[in-house]
Amino acid sequence: MRNFLKSTRFKVLLAFLAFLVGIMIYGVTKGGYSLSGASFVNTITKPFRSLSNSVTMKVENYLDKVSNATEYYNENLRLKQQVNELTQQLTDYEALKEEVAELRKFVTIKEEHEDYILSEPCDILSYVANDPFKSFTINKGSAEGIKPYCPVVTAEGLVGITVEVSEHVSTVRTILSPDLSVAAVSSSSVADTGIIEGTILDAENGNTKLIHVDIDNRLKEGDLMITSGTSGLFPKDYPIGFVKRVNLDSNGLSACAEIEPCIDITRLTSVIVITDFSGKKEADSDEN
Amino acid sequence: MRIKTPKEKRTLIYKTIIRWILYYILIFFSFVLMTSGTMLKPVLMIPIALCIAVNNNQIGSALTGAACGFLIDISCGKLLGYNAVILTFFCILVSLLFELYLRNRFINILIASAAVSFIQGWLDYKFYYEIWNYDNVERIFSTVTIPVWILTVISTVFVYLIIRLINHFLLPKEHLTLEEAIKTN
Repeated sequence: MRNFLKSTRFKVLLAFLAFLVGIMIYGVTKGGYSLSGASFVNTITKPFRSLSNSVTMKVENYLDKVSNATEYYNENLRLKQQVNELTQQLTDYEALKEEVAELRKFVTIKEEHEDYILSEPCDILSYVANDPFKSFTINKGSAEGIKPYCPVVTAEGLVGITVEVSEHVSTVRTILSPDLSVAAVSSSSVADTGIIEGTILDAENGNTKLIHVDIDNRLKEGDLMITSGTSGLFPKDYPIGFVKRVNLDSNGLSACAEIEPCIDITRLTSVIVITDFSGKKEADSDEN
Repeated sequence: MRIKTPKEKRTLIYKTIIRWILYYILIFFSFVLMTSGTMLKPVLMIPIALCIAVNNNQIGSALTGAACGFLIDISCGKLLGYNAVILTFFCILVSLLFELYLRNRFINILIASAAVSFIQGWLDYKFYYEIWNYDNVERIFSTVTIPVWILTVISTVFVYLIIRLINHFLLPKEHLTLEEAIKTN
């Protein structure tokens, strides 16, 4: 040992260590930059290291997959389940959002007309097959307090009337039908009154007709027609539709007008039934 | 006809049950289809009831006709029983005609379906629209009755193929084939 400590070899090694320490100290003083030698080595070896690293990573990944296959499989199942749950939650959320939007519309009806007794919102079960007047069935019936000849509405306007009520399903006749007559008045001029009654030609375009209008009327395109409520079958002042065109009736003694309903009757998703309102008269037939 | 063994009789019963279940599944799906959407649709229950009537006895045909008729009434919003009466009558008639006079050929079924669906549509037009004297009532005939009738006749092709497929596997053969006759003798 003593011989080694006295030998030149030891001194050379010591000097080399000192050199390395020196380099280290120099490196510290460079403030984070590599020494020129290291930089050179890095540059030269970069592509090889990159290739080697990618190969190694692939091999490692492969080995990892093989060795942890069961774990990954279980994790995959767990994540799939999680995705399903989240998708379900998202679907529920979307349905809830739509429902809230629908309910919000119906709340406005109740706010504006405090005397109305409204049913729960009713979904459209189906449209009556091949019916030119777009009658439809709803998923509420007598069990929910709906009776025949109750007005059916949306927040936008009048839709029709219930005509056939079973325990949990009701059929609705729309304002496009010639079998339903609604006394109407113009919202801008109380003198302009008439009867809203569907016709075959107008129903083809999703419109209805205002008939028996005074020949000296002041109706014009865009006027809103509302229910007059005189019969007691429909509540007063509920929107029905807008005047599209005013014409002379075929008899030449009165005028008539094409009416575009406030709602697109062929695109309904839910409606509400007004089961009671102030001034309601029990009826066993359509309004005349 | 050949005398059937007990095993063959049992198989026949099972096949008959499955056949009728399939018929009614088809009727159910047709009903669901008829109550979907707002477009004009064929009255699918008419060709179905007739195709079933062609291959079955009068009792089965009448019951199927009534069931299909009730479903038409529900889906089309008609007086309950109105179409049931019409279709029961025509199913019995068609069953008898094919048993006594007509051969079980596609063209015969197509003609029967076209005739019955036209009569049903025409009666529907008469009783539900024309009788009430609506303005321009003839437009209903040209824009609803006739297109629905055409769609129904077209749908008969598909209904016939489905019913034929069911019958091919599940309907008992009433007559001996030539091969069977040779084997029997």
